[in-house]
Amino acid sequence: MKMKKTLKKALALLLCLATLCSFAACSPADNDETTGTTSGSSENETTAGGETEKVELTYSFWGSEEEAANTQEVLDIFNASQDRIHVTAVAIPWETYMEKLNTMATGGNLPDCGLMTEAGVLQFAEMGLLSDVSSMYADAAEKPLASATYTYQGKEIAYASANNSLVMYYNKDMFDAAGLPYPPANAADAWTWEEFVDVAKKLTLDANGNNAASPDFDPNNIVQYGCMIENLTWQLEVWCRSNGSGFYNDDGTEVTINEKAATDAIQAIADLYLVHHVAPLSTGLTDDGVQRSLIAKTCAMTTNGAWNIGTCLSAAREEGLNYGIAVLPYMKEKVTISTGGPNVVFSQTEHPEEAMEFIKWYSSEENSWDNLIAAGIWMPTTSGYYNDEALTEKWLKNPAYPEYEEAKAVLCDYVRDYAVPTSWYYTNNTTDFNTLLGSILGDVWTGNKTAEQVINENYDSLVAAFDGMGA
Amino acid sequence: MRKTQRLSKVGRKEQRTAYLCLIPAFIGLIFLTYVPLIEVFVISFFNWRGPTTPTWAGIENYVRLFTTDPYFKVSIKVTVIYSLLSVIGGLIYSLIIALLLNRKVPARGFFRALFYLPYVLPAAAVYIGWSWLYEPNFGLFNYILKLCGVQENVLFLNDSKMVLPSLALVAVWLSGNLIVIFLAGLQNVPRVYHEAAEMDGANAWQRFRHVTIPSMTPIIFYNLLMSLITNMQVVTPSMALTQGGPNKQTMFITYLMYRYAFKSNQIGYACAISFVFFIIIAIFTGIVFSTSKTWVYYEGGED
Repeated sequence: MKMKKTLKKALALLLCLATLCSFAACSPADNDETTGTTSGSSENETTAGGETEKVELTYSFWGSEEEAANTQEVLDIFNASQDRIHVTAVAIPWETYMEKLNTMATGGNLPDCGLMTEAGVLQFAEMGLLSDVSSMYADAAEKPLASATYTYQGKEIAYASANNSLVMYYNKDMFDAAGLPYPPANAADAWTWEEFVDVAKKLTLDANGNNAASPDFDPNNIVQYGCMIENLTWQLEVWCRSNGSGFYNDDGTEVTINEKAATDAIQAIADLYLVHHVAPLSTGLTDDGVQRSLIAKTCAMTTNGAWNIGTCLSAAREEGLNYGIAVLPYMKEKVTISTGGPNVVFSQTEHPEEAMEFIKWYSSEENSWDNLIAAGIWMPTTSGYYNDEALTEKWLKNPAYPEYEEAKAVLCDYVRDYAVPTSWYYTNNTTDFNTLLGSILGDVWTGNKTAEQVINENYDSLVAAFDGMGA
Repeated sequence: MRKTQRLSKVGRKEQRTAYLCLIPAFIGLIFLTYVPLIEVFVISFFNWRGPTTPTWAGIENYVRLFTTDPYFKVSIKVTVIYSLLSVIGGLIYSLIIALLLNRKVPARGFFRALFYLPYVLPAAAVYIGWSWLYEPNFGLFNYILKLCGVQENVLFLNDSKMVLPSLALVAVWLSGNLIVIFLAGLQNVPRVYHEAAEMDGANAWQRFRHVTIPSMTPIIFYNLLMSLITNMQVVTPSMALTQGGPNKQTMFITYLMYRYAFKSNQIGYACAISFVFFIIIAIFTGIVFSTSKTWVYYEGGED
């Protein structure tokens, strides 16, 4: 009996202890992120003679553990290049990157510096979480392009590490089969919207081989579509601008998407499916437009960011996709938009100077050359690559890119002369705004309502989202 | 009453041990449920954007919630519609499957596993898989509908009128756990009642209607409650597939709260939503409980 009782008591005590332990495990003990040192750094420390303490920095980016190893390799080059600073990479999955940073910011635990999502830059700037880096390129010969510079209240606050502009891709074989000339790569010859729709009609085929311009065309049995304009919400901005309007006014202080020119532009995209039957239904939900259209060989033309050259098109070409690159068609003004996440220094750091030094080193094109720029995933940001033909050749004469003449005309000349920054380079709350816009446009793509209707019905809510009251 | 006053020495010791053993549960309940609940309630009266200092907002958040919020009203509406569709659909579906599986069908074990399987699959993968079936241009369902003569593509997830029923169908398919509980309940329906009813000449439907269903009501009640609470907290399809669209029709309350808190950094406001949502669930649970007296039969009679 007694034995049993003591056993019971012991068990109860054990349970209590276990609970306490599990609570202790929850306490913030994850400060060891900053202590990760490599063998290389300890060598450096000895060469420094141990006179000065090394500054330990953390650098956050989105990626897997595997990518963390690759990034750390690049960081180690920097770590070995000098003996004052040591940087450690912190990988955070892309899907939850901003959530994690927001939470870290709330707890005062932000890394020293890191890669930032486009829409997060202004959000963080407004909350005072970004350190001033405007002196970064003060004495440099080559500054990043204006279309790659983030500004808040007129001040330069961050520089994109990558540039990515929207361009048009097309399937050369489909054009050859239809006996049509390829879309223009020179901005001077860019198609008007009407020309574009006409070509798209000739490239849309039904099961009997009739194209969409023919009277016998059967829109319920389409086997090949002429085009798919990517309608991810942020990419729609380019069409509103092309039609002489935009999501916001030029300095991003007012919502102008209710202007007729803006709603007309969005309706024109929807009408490709609804009226002209030259595009498949796409509701701007998933970010795999190029795969669904050009690579799946369901569409002859598609628009999307330049990163697709590296992320999927170069591999598709090896498997037989004969694709070309062209400038976007235009409605009233020739324009494309550029975007790219910047590397920033967080204001919670104790070492802003060192962090900026590292960020400047890390953002230089050489460090992302092999894996990103030469591979066709990133475009360079500094103006030299767009003005100096030797540098342009170094960039675009890589096997990942399409023919040099085409690639130079589109990625270099067109981007240099016609690219403007996406509005999140100077406007806050674009995530919330785009979420609401994307949601209400759902009824436009399917034809339940017109763009003008839904935008006017929801204009107040869109303004509220723009003012920071959205979700 | 008298019993507790007259506890023996052994009894009191046992009571002490019982309380000691309950401590972990109480700690969990207090620190993981009640304290956060109170915290959420308090924070909901502040303007707090995470990294910034919280400022007192009074009932501003609640006023905004019920007046200018572009999502909240539609959010409650779609959450309730979705829950009703998936709860009712799920209960009917799993009761039917359970009845079938309760008979002596061949390969019964295999079918039981088959119908339970969806419940244990990773949720995000399930929704991605279904999105391929629902795909408007080239998906399987549209292919089948074409074979049946439907010419126009059905936009399961892209049409704001179709998306809720489409997602509820996935939830119904996912309700394998309800089947298991129903099966357990069916095994407990006393055979004698069935035999007695059969003797009296009741046919299969009458026996199902007047013997099986009444004996099953406690189980149905439990499943109804659990499935209602689970489905009202729906968030995965919005996160995995629709991001709240089309036209806000999948902006479920939990997802809306998540967006406000973690995407838009409006933590005070998100807490206000959480609290209102807590009350909504409490009301629904209360309704279910209060009606239960009229239709749930316990064999033990009145307690």
